[in-house]
Amino acid sequence: MKKRVTPGFVIGVFFCSLFAILCVLPLIYMVLMSFTQATTLKLHFSQINLLDFYNYWFALTKRGFAEGFKNSIIVVIGSCLLVDIVSAMAAYGFEKKPLPGKEKLFQVYLATMMVPGQVVLISMFVLVNRVGMSNTYSALILPMVGAFGIFLMRQFMQAVPNELIEAAEIDGSGEVRTFVTIVLPLVQPALITLTVFTFTGAWNNFLWPLIIMTRSNMYTLILNMSMLSGRNDTNYGLVMAGATLTFIFPFVLYIFLQKQFVEGIALGGVKG
Amino acid sequence: MTRQKKQAIYGAVYILPSFLLMAFFTFIPIFMTMYFSFTKYNLGQPAAWIGLENYEKLISNSYLHQALLNTVHYVAVTVPLQTILSLVIAAFLSSRLRNRLGDLIRSMLFIPVVASLVASASVWNVIYETNGGILNQLLEAVGIPGFNWLGRKSTALNCVAAVAVWKNVGYFLVIFYAGIMNISTDVNEAALVDGATPLQRFWYITLPILKPITYMVVTLGIIWSFQVFDLVYKMTAGGPGRSTYTVAYLIYSYAFKDRRIGYAAALAVCLLIVILIIHGLQNLVFNDKDDDEPRKSRRLLV
Repeated sequence: MKKRVTPGFVIGVFFCSLFAILCVLPLIYMVLMSFTQATTLKLHFSQINLLDFYNYWFALTKRGFAEGFKNSIIVVIGSCLLVDIVSAMAAYGFEKKPLPGKEKLFQVYLATMMVPGQVVLISMFVLVNRVGMSNTYSALILPMVGAFGIFLMRQFMQAVPNELIEAAEIDGSGEVRTFVTIVLPLVQPALITLTVFTFTGAWNNFLWPLIIMTRSNMYTLILNMSMLSGRNDTNYGLVMAGATLTFIFPFVLYIFLQKQFVEGIALGGVKG
Repeated sequence: MTRQKKQAIYGAVYILPSFLLMAFFTFIPIFMTMYFSFTKYNLGQPAAWIGLENYEKLISNSYLHQALLNTVHYVAVTVPLQTILSLVIAAFLSSRLRNRLGDLIRSMLFIPVVASLVASASVWNVIYETNGGILNQLLEAVGIPGFNWLGRKSTALNCVAAVAVWKNVGYFLVIFYAGIMNISTDVNEAALVDGATPLQRFWYITLPILKPITYMVVTLGIIWSFQVFDLVYKMTAGGPGRSTYTVAYLIYSYAFKDRRIGYAAALAVCLLIVILIIHGLQNLVFNDKDDDEPRKSRRLLV
């Protein structure tokens, strides 16, 4: 099929390119403005000095960003490990084991995705406080396990041939060994995809850390960043430096694992 | 023990960790919230059963009326805009621009998706800033006077909605693009032989086949938009006046600022009911005639 250059084609390319640029510009603006000493009252491009890392230094040393980095990294690593292990196990159980009533339970899991976060959050707050888990990493890590990850893993688990599992069993491979050395390597791409989603989810999580982390030494990076803006006079340069610091990690992850991001989202929408 | 039984027990063991976590952090809280909604429960005091009083108070709560209107307004702006934009761009890129430029455009559109809502809100706060924000600077450069975008009742909510659209288009584009790539080329080639124009092919082939995916995109969009919190919290905090109060923001301020857990729980339950009703209506709209296509995609969203 030959492609002709029609006016419609030109308009389409122009429109798509323009929209793509509009999507990226605010983030470039963010990085540029992080190199200014701009406050609410004086905000201008002419102040940009790309050699001036004062805002970054100030955020890291004076506004708890160094500690925030540490907390966020602990929470993210913990979440990724937990979600990967628990979701893979659950998906394997749901897809390959003959447990009566498992499909009903799976439907219940999926139904929770319709429930607005606030419905869960209010009582989770009461519950987590009651058991003395506020201001702990566990409070941020444990609730990351959810229906989406299990659903995603199950989609991939379908492709693992039953014959392979049965053959391993006949060869005398124990249950744990079969799961760890045969099943997990086969669903490795799915585990990477799930890790990518859990990473950004845990890293960017805001409302739950906001209400459950009351001690500033337990703030995640996002919380530190959120505390930068004052009510009246805001140091925009500093806020943009903070925003840039929170953005770097997910952005680098996206650059390297673009395929996994896209695959995970597409799978939810297409194969479902 | 039979092999079947043993396997079933293994199944239970595999599922158990997820079940325990989901129970403690999802199932039990949902039921607790339902219970709290019938109680007067302020943090620090014991919960006391008061029946439907919270719900009765909600009906006459003028903040809620405003928040409901705002939320519906917000959904009505974001959902159609982001759905149509992502669909049209996906259709164009997949049919006419399957090259490096197309890939680059898709990659660029996705970048806002990985940014946190808090960082996005802060960036757009600076863009919308009245004195020296880039938007007003650009307008002033072409002779249009600057405007207090987030400080006016008439524009604040739409400005917040624009940020959501900016952030979501890349996400839904990925879903639509994958859906279009899944359409067999035979169908399109047959239509091409019959002399169908690109627009006709889009309208009569792509769109009907994408129906289940559109259903999912709209459902996800509605659920997300109904729960808008981070953006409102960071950009306007409900103001100016009550013009950007949304239901989710109201729940947050009742529960965690005023510490009225019972009252906030009742409001949260109302939000759940509204989302379920919309979901039901949507099923009616998308489930016309005898095709059961939407059902396929509902595995993810019930």
